[in-house]
Amino acid sequence: MILAVLFANAEGNILIKRFHGVPAEERLHWRSFLVKLGADNLKGVKNEELLVACHKSVYIVYTILGDVSIYVVGKDAYDELALSEVIFTITSAVKDVCGKPPTERRFLDKYGRICLCLDEIVWKGYLENTEKDRIKRLIRLKPPTEF
Amino acid sequence: MADSSGTTLMDLITADPTPATSSSSSSTSAPPPSATSSTSLSSTLGKPATEKKSKRATLMQIQNDTISAAKAAVRTNIMPQKQKKKPVSYSQLARSIHELAATSDQRSSQRQLVQHVFPKLAVYNSVDPSLAPSLLMLNQQCEDKSVLRYVYYYLARILSDTGSQGLSSGGGIPTPNWDALADIDAVGGVTRADVVPRIIEQLSAEATNADVEFHARRLQSLKALTYAPSTNSDILSRLYEIVFGILEKVGDPSQKKKKGILGGKGGDKESIIRSNLQYASLSALRRLPLDPGNPAFLHYAVLGISSADPVAVRNALEIVSEIAARDPYAVAMALGKQVQPGGALQDVLHLHDVLARVSLARLCCTISRAKALDERPDIRSQFNSVLYQLLLDPSERVCFEAILCVLGKYDSAERTEERASGWYRLTREILKLPDASSKESSKDKSQKIKRPQPLIKLVMRRLESSFRSFSRPVLHAAARVVQEMGKSRAAAFALGIQDVDEGAHVNTFADASDLNDSDESTHPESIRRTSSVSNGTAGRDTIAGMLASLMEVVRTTVACECVYVRAMVIKALIWMQGPFDSFDELESIIASELSDPAWSAGLLNDVLLTLHARFKASPDMAVTLLEIARIFATKVPGKVDADVLQLLWKTCLVGAGPDGKHKALEAVTIVLDLPPPQPGSMLGLTSVDRVSASDPKSALALQRLVQAAVWFLGENANYAASEYAWESATPPGTALMMLDADKMVAAASSRNPTLAGALTRLQRCAFSGSWEIRIIAAQALTTMAIRSGEPFRLQIYEFLHTLAQGGLQSQLSDVHLSNGEDQGASGTGLGVLLSPMIKVLDEMYSAQDDLIKEVRNHDNAKKEWTDDELKKLYETHERLLDLVSLFCYVPRTKYLPLGPISAKLIDIYRTRHNISASTGLSDPAVATGISDLIYESSKTPAAAEPDALDDDLVNAWAANLGDDGLWGNNAPAMNRVNEFLAGAGTDAPEVDEENIISRPSVSYDDMWAKTLLETTELEEDDAKSLGSSSPDSTGSVETSISSHFGGMSYPSLFSSRPNSYGADKASRGSGPSIYEGISSPIREEPPPYSSPGMYRNESFENPLAGTGSRSFESQDDERISSGNPQFGSALYDFTAGGDDELSLTAGEEVEIEYEVDGWFYVKKKRPGRDGKMAGLVPVLYVNQP
Repeated sequence: MILAVLFANAEGNILIKRFHGVPAEERLHWRSFLVKLGADNLKGVKNEELLVACHKSVYIVYTILGDVSIYVVGKDAYDELALSEVIFTITSAVKDVCGKPPTERRFLDKYGRICLCLDEIVWKGYLENTEKDRIKRLIRLKPPTEF
Repeated sequence: MADSSGTTLMDLITADPTPATSSSSSSTSAPPPSATSSTSLSSTLGKPATEKKSKRATLMQIQNDTISAAKAAVRTNIMPQKQKKKPVSYSQLARSIHELAATSDQRSSQRQLVQHVFPKLAVYNSVDPSLAPSLLMLNQQCEDKSVLRYVYYYLARILSDTGSQGLSSGGGIPTPNWDALADIDAVGGVTRADVVPRIIEQLSAEATNADVEFHARRLQSLKALTYAPSTNSDILSRLYEIVFGILEKVGDPSQKKKKGILGGKGGDKESIIRSNLQYASLSALRRLPLDPGNPAFLHYAVLGISSADPVAVRNALEIVSEIAARDPYAVAMALGKQVQPGGALQDVLHLHDVLARVSLARLCCTISRAKALDERPDIRSQFNSVLYQLLLDPSERVCFEAILCVLGKYDSAERTEERASGWYRLTREILKLPDASSKESSKDKSQKIKRPQPLIKLVMRRLESSFRSFSRPVLHAAARVVQEMGKSRAAAFALGIQDVDEGAHVNTFADASDLNDSDESTHPESIRRTSSVSNGTAGRDTIAGMLASLMEVVRTTVACECVYVRAMVIKALIWMQGPFDSFDELESIIASELSDPAWSAGLLNDVLLTLHARFKASPDMAVTLLEIARIFATKVPGKVDADVLQLLWKTCLVGAGPDGKHKALEAVTIVLDLPPPQPGSMLGLTSVDRVSASDPKSALALQRLVQAAVWFLGENANYAASEYAWESATPPGTALMMLDADKMVAAASSRNPTLAGALTRLQRCAFSGSWEIRIIAAQALTTMAIRSGEPFRLQIYEFLHTLAQGGLQSQLSDVHLSNGEDQGASGTGLGVLLSPMIKVLDEMYSAQDDLIKEVRNHDNAKKEWTDDELKKLYETHERLLDLVSLFCYVPRTKYLPLGPISAKLIDIYRTRHNISASTGLSDPAVATGISDLIYESSKTPAAAEPDALDDDLVNAWAANLGDDGLWGNNAPAMNRVNEFLAGAGTDAPEVDEENIISRPSVSYDDMWAKTLLETTELEEDDAKSLGSSSPDSTGSVETSISSHFGGMSYPSLFSSRPNSYGADKASRGSGPSIYEGISSPIREEPPPYSSPGMYRNESFENPLAGTGSRSFESQDDERISSGNPQFGSALYDFTAGGDDELSLTAGEEVEIEYEVDGWFYVKKKRPGRDGKMAGLVPVLYVNQP
C-alpha cells in the first residue's frame, strides 16, 4: 500500500499531498516527519538521488527534483525498492511534464497536469502506470495502447 | 487520487484568467440582468441568494442559473481582476466552472477550463459537491479530451470524498466540510448524497458504452467509479456487474494468444481495444474489495495473466496471489498449465514490470508452500522452480522478494517453523536452472553456467553485490534481507533443525556437499529438488565462510551516511549475531554509532526493540543482548525509552538462566558504577564504559535510568543471586555472632558474590546518588534485606541503621563520592523514609530473639508447646508477614519472618487448626502495594511483582512474555514490544519540533508573489508597482482563507473572521479597508480582519493564511490613508521574518497605520537596527492605548 505521496518545495511547504489509508489525525504527523526528514537530509543531494528512511514497518523513499522534493511512503509490498520504482515513475512523469527538473514556478504552472499524472501513477494506494508514454496518453484521455 | 486531500495555496494567487474567456462569451450574451448579484464575486456575501435557493430546489436548475449568472457576471468580473490581482478564490473557480460549463462548446471556454480553472481547482483539498451538475454537464457535452480528463478527475474526487475535507491540518488550502455547509444552506444545499448517485449513474452508463470510439472514456469512467464509496453494497454490486460484464466480453483467451506478450503494438485494432478494456477492468477490479467467495475473481484474474497489457497482467497477478493466500488449491488448479514452460507465468518472468514479477514470486511461494497441495508435489515443485528462477531476476526488488520467500518470510505473521525450514532450504538446496528456460541468456550473466549451484551461494553473491550498490534503498533493502536471514537462522537454531550448536557450526558446514542428504527425509519439505551435489567446493564456500564474507560486507555498510541504512545494518548484525560469537566488533560498532547525534530516538528504540525480538528468538543471547543494551543506557540515555529498556533487562535476566544471571545483573548495574559524565571530555566517545550525557536532557534521562537500575537491582538481585531467606540454611543465631562489620562483609561476599556485589552498589547509591536515587536505593535495600537470609539481612540492617543516623560518610570513606548536594541534617535526609523499614527489621529480629529464647526455655524445661503459645507465635508470624508484605512481595507460604526454626512450630499450629497457608497474591497489603504507604509512589515497584521467587513461575512468565499481566508498570512498553514483534506499526512518527508545522509563511508568500509578478503582472499596468518599496509583492493579494471562501459566506466554519465584523471594525477603528479604494466599487468587504487570538490558530492550520497582507506594503503609497492615526507601544521584542515585516524593540513607540489579518502596519519614529521605519508587526505585539 502506498500510504502517501508528498511534494514539497525547498522551504518545506507542501505542494501536493495524497494520502491513502492514513488516518486523518496522523497525516499532520507524517507531513511534519517527512518535511523534517527532507530538511535534515536533502541539502546538497543530487537530483533524483534516492534517500531512504523507515519508521516501524513503513518505508519512506524521497528525493529532490529541481526545486521540488518528493516523498513516497509505503508499507507491505511497497518496500523501499518498490517505492523507488514509484518515485522513479513520478519523477520521470514530472520531468516529462515540466520538460526538465522543475523550478517551483514551473511546477506550479504545470500543477494540473502533474495532478493528472499522479492520478494515473498512483491509484487508490497502488502503483498503476509506470510507462511515461502511456501516462502521457492517459492524461490526454487516450487509450493506453493506441491502434 | 488516493484521498482527495492534495493541495497548496499557490495556484490561487495566479490571476484568474476567467475574465478573458468570459468576456468573449459575455460579449455575445445579454447584458447583466442582475448587476448586483454579479458584483458579489469579490464580496463576502457569497452567491446571490436567488441562486442559492434555486440550487437547493433542484440540481438541474443550477445549470440554467449559472448560464445566466455567467453572462451576467462576466463584465463586472473583469473589472476587479484588471485593477487588482486578486487570488482566485474557490468561489470564483466554482463560478467559472458553472459559467464555462454553460459555454463548453466554445474553444475558448475549453481552453480556459484546461489551462486555468481546473489546474487551480486541484489546489483545494476537496471539491464541492455542488460542482457535480456542471461537471456532469461538461462530461456530456464537451468534446475536448483534456477537459474531459479533468472532469473525470474531479468526479472521482467528489466520489471519494470521505472526511478528508474540513479543516485539514495538513496544510494546503483547507476546504470546509461541504455536507455540513449544505446543511446550513451555505453552498446551495447540495450534499454528496445528492450528487453521488447521479455521478455513478452517468459514469456507469459510460462504462458500459460499447462504442469503439468511446472506449478511452470508458476506461476513465471505470477508473473514476472505483472511487465510489465501497461501503455501499448497491454501488459495489453494480460495479462488480460492470467490471465482470466487460471482462466477460474481452476475456476470450483464444483471441489473445496470437499476440506477442509485450504490448499489443501492431496488433489489430479490435484486440488492442480488448486489451485496453481488459486492463481497465482488471485495474478496477484490483481496487474493489476482494470477494473470495466469487469464482469470477479467480477466473478473470487468471485469464488476465495472459493479457497483452503489462499493467493488466500485474493487476491480475496481484489478485491471483491474494486469492492464493486464502485458497491455494483452487488457484493452483485454475492456473493449471500456465506455470509450465511456455505458459503465461513463464512469460511474466520476462515481463518488463517489476511489480508483476514480485507478485509472481509471492504467488509461487504461497502455492509451493501450501499444505493443501501436499498431495500434488508436482505442482508445488513447478511453482517452486519459477520462484527459484526469480532469484536470478535482474531487479533487486524481485530477487529480494524471492529470497524472502525462500526464507519463509512472506507475510507479516512470523512462524518459527516456516522460518526454520526457510533457513534449511536456503542452506541446503541446490539450484538447478531449468534447461527449458529460453531466455536464460538474457538474465544475469554470472548465471550462464548451467551447473547446479547451491542456493546459498547464489543468494550470498547477489547480496554482496547489492551491498556494493550506491543506491540507498538498495542498501537498506539488502540489509533488511540479511536481517530476515538472521531471523530464519535464529529460528532454525531455536528449533534445533541444524542439529549443531553454534560452536560446531563451521565444521559442520565445512563442506556444503555434506549437507544435502543428511536429514532430508526427516524434513517436512517436499520440494527437495536436490540429490546430487557439485563436489569440490572449496573451503571458502562453506556456509560459515560465505556468511563471514557477507557479514564483512554488511559491516562496511555502516559507513553509509544514511542513518536509516546504518540502523538496518545494525539490526541485521544483531540478528546475525550468534549467542556464542564474540561480539566485540558489534559492540564497538554500536558504541561508535550511538555517539553519532544523527540517530533519532525513534530509530534507537527500534534497535532496542530489535534486541527484544532477538532475545525472544534466542534466549541464549540474553547476556550478549544485555551488554548491547548497556551501551544504549550509557551512550544515549536521553533517547531510549526507559520502559522498553527495563523490560529488556528483566526479560534478559530471566532468560539468562542460572549461569548467566550473575553476568546479566552485572551488565545492568554497570550503569551504577559509571563515573558521572565529565563535561567536555571527548575521551569516552567510543568507550562503552563511560556515560555520555552532555546535555541536561540526557543527564536527566540518565538519572532516571539509574533510578530504574537501582530499583531493578533491588527487585531482582535475590533472583539473580539465587539467595532467598526462605531457602537459607543459615540459622539466625549465626548472624548475631557476626556483628563485626568486616567479618560480615567477608562472609557475605564469599557466600554469594552476586548478592554482595549488588549490595555494595546499592549501599553506595543510598548515600552518594541524588535524592531520588537514594530513596529508591533505600527501598531496594529493604527489599533485599527482607528477601535475603543472613548474613545479608544483618549487613543491610546495620547499614540502614547507620544511614538513618547520619554521619555515615566518614565510616564509608572509600565510597565517599559526594554529588555536591547538601546531605541535610539527618545525614542523608532519608530518616523519615528509613524508620519504618528499620522498624520492620527490628521487629523481625526481636521476634526472632524471643523465639529463640522461647525455644531454649522449652528445650531446657523439656516442655511441649502449648496451644496458646503456638497461637501467639503464629500471630506474630502473621503480623510480621503482613508487615513485610507492605514493603515487598514475598511468598507467604514459604516466607518465615521468624526464621527457619519457626517453620516446624507454625506448621504444627496450622495443622492443628486447619489453617491453609494463604497465598501472597490475595493479601490485601500485597494487592494495594507499598505504593500507597510510601510517598514516592511512582518509583515504587508494584508489590505484586512475582519475580524471582519461584523458578517455575519465572519460567512460565519468560515463556509467555506477552501475557504478563503482572508487569503492570510496563504495560506501555509491553505493548510497544509486542507490537514490534508482531511487525505492526504504521502509525505516524513523532516529530519533536512542532514549529515545523507552523513555519512562518513568509518565504512562501514571497515566492507566490514572484510567481504572480512573472506571469501576469507584466501585462498589467506597471504604474502601480512603480516606486513601491517591494514590487515583488504587488500582486500578492490576500490569501487568507476567509477571502478565498468569502464569496460563499460561510466564514464561521473555517475562517477566523468574526461574523460581527462590522461592529468589530468600528470599535477597532483600524482604518478603512484598502479595498475601498481599489478593488470593488461597491464596498462590501471589510478589511480581512481577524482577532489577534484567532490569528494564532489560523496560522497554525494554514501557514499561508493571513500572509497576503504583505502585499499592503507595496500598495502603501496608493493606500487611502486612514483617518486618525493610532499610537501604540511595542510590548515585546519582535524580529522581522520577512521583507515586509518590521523589527520591534519592547517599549518602542509606533504609529499604527492599519490592521489586517492579525497584523498591524506600523511606522516608527526612528529607523530601527535594520534601518526600516515601517512594516508589519503582529497585533499581539503592540499595546494599543
